[in-house]
Amino acid sequence: MSLTEYTGRKRVRIGALALVVLIVGGAGLTVRSGIALDRLFTAGFATRSVEMATPIALAAIGGLYAEKSGVFNIGLEGFMIFGAFSAAASMYALGGTSPTQGQVWLAVAVSAVISTLITVAFAVLLIRYEADQIVAGLAVWFIGLGFAPFTAAIIWGSRSSPGLASVNSVAFGQSPFVILTVLIVLASWVVLYRTRYGYWVQAAGENPEALDTAGVDVTRVRYATVIFSGAMAGLGGAVLLAHAGNFVGIGDTMVEGRGWIGIVAYLFGNYNPIGAAGAALLFGALDMLNVQFQTVGIEVSARLVNLLPYVAVIIVLSAWGKTRMPSSVGESYESED
Amino acid sequence: MSGDDDGLRGALDRAAAYMLDATVLERIGIAIASTALALCIGLLIVAAAGHNPLLFANQLVIGSFGSERAVARTLTFSVLFVLAGIAVAIAFRAGVFNIGVQGQFIVGGFATVASIVSLAPYLPDGTVGGIVLMLVGTLAAVVAGGLYAALPGVLKAYGDANEIITTIMLNFIAIGFVGWLVAGRFSDPEATATRTERLPDNVGFPSVVFDDPNLSIVGIGATIAVVALIAVIMTRTSFGYDMVTSGHQESAATYSGVDAKRMIVSTMTLSGMVAGLTGAIFAIMIQGYFTDPSGIGNYGFDAIAVSLLAANNPVGVVPAGLLFGGLESAGSHIQINSDVPVQLIDGIVGLVVLFVAVPELFRMMAQRTGLGGDRE
Amino acid sequence: MTARKTPPAVRLESITKRFGDVVANDDVDFTLERGSIHALLGENGSGKTTLMSVLYGLYDQDEGTISVDGKPRTFDSPRDAMRAGVGMIHQHFQLVKPMTVLQNIVLGHEPTDNGLVDESAARAEIEEICSRYDFDVDQYLDTPVEELDLGAQQRVEIIKSLYRGAEILILDEPTAVLTPQEVERLMDVMNDLREDGHSLIFISHKLDEALTIADEITVLRDGEAIDTVRAEETTEQDLARMMVGREVLFDRLERETVPGEPALEVDGLRMHGDRGQEQVSSVDFTVREGEILGIAGVQGNGQSELVEGITGLRSVASGSVRFRGSDITGTSRRDRIEDGIAYIPEDRQTEGLVQEYSLVRNALLGNQTIEPYANGGMLDWTAVRDHAEEIIQEFDVHPPDADAGATSLSGGNQQKFIVGREIGHDPDVMVASHPTRGVDIGSIEFIHNRLIELRAEGLAIVVVSSKLEEIQKLADRIAVMYEGEFIDVVDPETVTEEELGLLMTGQRLEDEEGTGESESDRGVQA
Repeated sequence: MSLTEYTGRKRVRIGALALVVLIVGGAGLTVRSGIALDRLFTAGFATRSVEMATPIALAAIGGLYAEKSGVFNIGLEGFMIFGAFSAAASMYALGGTSPTQGQVWLAVAVSAVISTLITVAFAVLLIRYEADQIVAGLAVWFIGLGFAPFTAAIIWGSRSSPGLASVNSVAFGQSPFVILTVLIVLASWVVLYRTRYGYWVQAAGENPEALDTAGVDVTRVRYATVIFSGAMAGLGGAVLLAHAGNFVGIGDTMVEGRGWIGIVAYLFGNYNPIGAAGAALLFGALDMLNVQFQTVGIEVSARLVNLLPYVAVIIVLSAWGKTRMPSSVGESYESED
Repeated sequence: MSGDDDGLRGALDRAAAYMLDATVLERIGIAIASTALALCIGLLIVAAAGHNPLLFANQLVIGSFGSERAVARTLTFSVLFVLAGIAVAIAFRAGVFNIGVQGQFIVGGFATVASIVSLAPYLPDGTVGGIVLMLVGTLAAVVAGGLYAALPGVLKAYGDANEIITTIMLNFIAIGFVGWLVAGRFSDPEATATRTERLPDNVGFPSVVFDDPNLSIVGIGATIAVVALIAVIMTRTSFGYDMVTSGHQESAATYSGVDAKRMIVSTMTLSGMVAGLTGAIFAIMIQGYFTDPSGIGNYGFDAIAVSLLAANNPVGVVPAGLLFGGLESAGSHIQINSDVPVQLIDGIVGLVVLFVAVPELFRMMAQRTGLGGDRE
Repeated sequence: MTARKTPPAVRLESITKRFGDVVANDDVDFTLERGSIHALLGENGSGKTTLMSVLYGLYDQDEGTISVDGKPRTFDSPRDAMRAGVGMIHQHFQLVKPMTVLQNIVLGHEPTDNGLVDESAARAEIEEICSRYDFDVDQYLDTPVEELDLGAQQRVEIIKSLYRGAEILILDEPTAVLTPQEVERLMDVMNDLREDGHSLIFISHKLDEALTIADEITVLRDGEAIDTVRAEETTEQDLARMMVGREVLFDRLERETVPGEPALEVDGLRMHGDRGQEQVSSVDFTVREGEILGIAGVQGNGQSELVEGITGLRSVASGSVRFRGSDITGTSRRDRIEDGIAYIPEDRQTEGLVQEYSLVRNALLGNQTIEPYANGGMLDWTAVRDHAEEIIQEFDVHPPDADAGATSLSGGNQQKFIVGREIGHDPDVMVASHPTRGVDIGSIEFIHNRLIELRAEGLAIVVVSSKLEEIQKLADRIAVMYEGEFIDVVDPETVTEEELGLLMTGQRLEDEEGTGESESDRGVQA
């Protein structure tokens, strides 16, 4: 018991340390440039950070469920690309280059359904055919990187879409998807820790045999979580698109590593949905810091500031490496019967 | 280079011996089936997109092997795929998932250009100066690539940080940081595109055998030498035995006296060194300068597919690399001569990787159809 | 107690279970009366756990029938067994460690209220069970299981079975992981359960525990049920005789040499286990050239860690290991291999052999830096192949094919190959950990003879085994390990199996037969 207590405390300390470093670093920069902190950390910055964090948080929630149940879904990035692209494509199909708000919503919903269907196939390969989880997950990313721009080129004659429409904000200048995400985060916390399904998910990842002898079908639990993870990542991609208003398919596409950051977000959040969402917020803020620096006129290369989240991930992961993975992750489970 | 000849012969001997092995046959079967299935799906998609799949298939062949130019282009790409594939195979064979070959490749290539460009003013213009510059540049790439890979190795061994995530993050960092350098300190003020200064004229491999300015026999020779060297290391040295055994069964490796943590770091370093070398050859043989790395091909990522297709066997990486070189080369051809968007090739590569990950699928299919039904 | 009208809770008739050529259970009959405790007694590998796994639906029997409460049953899975009211408490607990006690108990059978788990209903039900059997589990229902000590985890397992309605409980070596105080507590719990009408099967190899708690005792040996006796009508001596067998299978081989110089000296060795707990507490011993030290003990008393400390696989907390006079405490595993410390590992599947390698490639395992197989980092596969073929021939490995995969060999042949390879190191010290576990009789004999030949050649040998007859046959001195220390060192020629059995359970003998005088708080020096 001292061991868990120790790592728990260590974790909190490192987390606090990371935050302090970031704040002090930010403050240092600000003071050197003679710019007051209140101009850097504005309400607009907060809004944009939350908006930036939303897709990451959604992917993280999905990935967290899959991994909790013992399946490492490393393909989140790929599913986000599918989600973003299919949202753009359905928006274009519904309303051309000037879709209405209703069509934006419908497109996001259609996109979530499409991502779910793709994930079903992925889940069958992973669970039924015992695919190597890491290699298959990478493949999903490659497939997304290839086929999304490919189809975009077929539809629009270019890897990126023309300007479509982004979702209108509702209360407090916030996107409705931000509110939806908050609800999803809370709901997934409740399901994971307060319902029998959550118990089963946790047991499937930690000791599938115990769950099996308790009369619950481990395979079914894992199917559910993997499909959920793809659906959430797809929704994350769709939300990203609904915020941006057009699809970008050059380079690493508009998803640009957010799925990977999502994985780190839930590791950082120690598999707790609320923690993961908090971590996503941190990464979202780091992402937006760049814009903020430019607005207040701090001369830092945009490219370097963009790297901050990645550097943070490596530091966090190394200092925090002992994040406790569910013990049966990556092992396929076959029941005795 | 006689040592390499011996090594190559030994490697070929072993490859021939492996051929008799049922599991190796099975792996080759799975590789072929994966590729074929992925290509079939690709053609279906072409048809679904309203293009003629037969025409597309024809262009694939013409674009990869249809002319001397196409062959030279295929070989050029193959050099990169084989080398990067070897880098991946080293790590995967030892049970370490180095997904960061792309980043190590970029860091290596940039190190070559940066060191050559900064050193060139101090060296004579002639061939000797050029050779010294190339040696220094290559060395810089190997060292930079090795160090850039050693970092996630150390973090995994001593910090317990998952190397899959850290190497992917380091890819993004390499792209961003090198991109910043290329656009800033090292940018060529006279160039319109974002790139570094050109390498001096005395730096470059001679174009013997092929006319293609991007393909040199030196590059091909270096690739074959690396394949042979890594094959020899894996099969004929104590270090290679330690490495491969760690990948198969870490507990047995530890029992036999392997220090698991140190092995992770050495494997990553060796893998990154080869990735760095790939970058050096890319910079010297193909580009002649270094561009913004976000626009460089995904050689390091596709190399994962190459290695998996070859079951992480260094000799098997050669045909797998040629296949990918051919696909990429066909892609260049298709980009100009076809309406089918070239990104399809990337998608097909993704499908190959996906199918390679699911040997069980093909085993079951083989059983259903009665092929190889004797296997359990 | 002798209300024999109700059908027995469990009746196993003529159960036979084979694994390949090995017969794990041979025509075994077993009857558990309702409301009683029946001990299943036998040494490791005698087939106790196999028999119970057949009952619990983990294995299908090859022959024989099972009936529960008078009805013939076949269980395809533990789930089926559970539904019929049979619960099993495994040695490795089926608990989800980071989840709380309450969550573990209700897992799969959660009461719900509006979709959420109804914790208060669960709590009430668990508290009811706890108060009925005087359990303390309700005191820590919200604690993660991993924070409990093993005794408490075991009680959680029992409650879990009861919560799911188990009437028949199988406890597989439940005392193996417990402290003496916890054992006492478990006995009380078992008594309460019996009084409440539950029927219990108690798997053990500890005579005194079986005598204390059980109504009936069935002794298994080599897969056969030797006899079933009533506890009040038997003695420890009788049971020991049944467990070990009257006929002594192996004669002690007379030694031909006199021990020479000390080859391996261990002084004040302390070591920690995987979870940081102390597993070896101050062990001292010396093994001389031409001598075999046997280390006996119930598994989990620190033998594995001790062996890993000697062979360089685990770093020591304090103390020293000396090899032919020089201190090797801090040297690496590879250094020790090269120095000449050979090791027949405890687990041949994960350590001793690489499963996917051929025998040729396995012949190199551990030899990869040693001449003539390696020269300046380069391997000589011809030499390795010759070596593999030599081992195959000399150690009678079947199939005699150096290119055969390790998995194609039977356990005995795998083990002979490993023994051959380790002897091939030409070592000065040989550490053999359970050298004949899961090995057929012929191979056992062969391996024993080779070890004794090695002694004659002047090697210092350490043999760790839980098989007493093996230790008695091979060892010149027997150190009995209990809770991380040598509880006694005895002479194999004079000690009896019964005495060894007592020592293994931590009871010191009245009249010392060993060398050292037992110090009050410290283990005995060997």
